Amino acid sequence: MLVGTVVGNVWASVKDPTLQGLRMLVVQPFTMGKETAETIVAVDPLGAGVGERVLVVFGRAARHCIGKGHDVGFQTAVSAIIDRMDLVDGRTIGPVEEEDT
Amino acid sequence: MFLGRVIGEVWATRKVADLEGHRLLVVEALDAGNEPAAPMVTPVVAADPLGAGVGEEVLVAFGKAARVACGGDGDYALEAAVVGIVDAHDLRTGGGA
Repeated sequence: MLVGTVVGNVWASVKDPTLQGLRMLVVQPFTMGKETAETIVAVDPLGAGVGERVLVVFGRAARHCIGKGHDVGFQTAVSAIIDRMDLVDGRTIGPVEEEDT
Repeated sequence: MFLGRVIGEVWATRKVADLEGHRLLVVEALDAGNEPAAPMVTPVVAADPLGAGVGEEVLVAFGKAARVACGGDGDYALEAAVVGIVDAHDLRTGGGA
């Protein structure tokens, strides 16, 4: 699992039938230092918006989050929308970047 | 499975039901020199059934091992968990050869 920031949406009309009706977000993982260029696409059953901090799960746990007991053709999902993350270096990461201290 | 240090804690109100009641810790992997790995590395968020504190060194397991450690089975919405709080280790410090 990792924390990331939602940076965008993805739409695809032609896709695996098990992915019909699922919302896909682009998430940039949180790093301790320099910002990463890497992004992850995650299915979002919770309704997170662009700019929000989310918890991303992978693999079978992700399929469980989005498949409601069925197998789905995706392996990354948003499992929580973060209220707050306290770090040992004194930083507090808020629900959106503007609320970081 | 990896050796890491707890560097923070995460709170979320809106979450999938399986995460209810689980404490979520932010864990940074330690390198061979017992220092936090490169700052570019994304820290892992792990559920913590053991009660580790910030600053402690922990063992983190992934996948089904993590789900079992948290009282779930194959179908459970998490895939990383603290499975041990490290008392001591004799990692050679300094890193490299």
